Amino acid sequence: MAASIAHRATGVALYSGTALLAVWAFAAAQGAAFFEPVGAFLASPVGVFILFGYTWALVFHTLNGLRHLYWDAGRGLDVKTARQTAWAVFAASIFVAIFVVAAGLSARG
Amino acid sequence: MTNKGTANFIAQRASAALLAPLALWFLWSAVAHAGVSYEEMRAWIAGPAAAIPMGLLILVGALHMRIGLNDIIDDYIDSGARGVFKLLNLLACLGVAALGLWSLYVLSV
Repeated sequence: MAASIAHRATGVALYSGTALLAVWAFAAAQGAAFFEPVGAFLASPVGVFILFGYTWALVFHTLNGLRHLYWDAGRGLDVKTARQTAWAVFAASIFVAIFVVAAGLSARG
Repeated sequence: MTNKGTANFIAQRASAALLAPLALWFLWSAVAHAGVSYEEMRAWIAGPAAAIPMGLLILVGALHMRIGLNDIIDDYIDSGARGVFKLLNLLACLGVAALGLWSLYVLSV
């Protein structure tokens, strides 16, 4: 149940996050003046929070989407398996999002 | 309406299957290019290995966003107001695709 609500919530979050990303791309296409300040902001505490939120939403929605495709194939539909895969997706998405943001921050230096 | 619903059902799953690897590629690229200068970012996006998956991600992502939010509108919005919300959703998704593709073009030439 929780994973179903979270799939919609992350979908809506990604919808708005992607709209922001498109606006940033548009600004970046105007020249360097917009690109580097936004990059610096993303390394600030608020920026890292936003990056982590978007990354977690993207990883969760992708992994839970694969779970939906697995269901569409008629597999994993019993309650016990569905609960287990829901927990696995929550845990894996948090782990992957922490890893991705940490790797990005350390690559940035 | 039934045919449209079926087409959307299939399109949402086909786009999900395409978006899963594209989302992983996007996260990997973001980590690999964290903190690069404006010139380095442009040099990266100008290559076909980045521009082609990015273009696909924008197009398929905008389609997936539209169908996903339309499904949410069907569930939560009163039938009389649905048309307006779906039109706004279409315009927002077209806007994301147009901003994204135009920016990709400008940044890669």
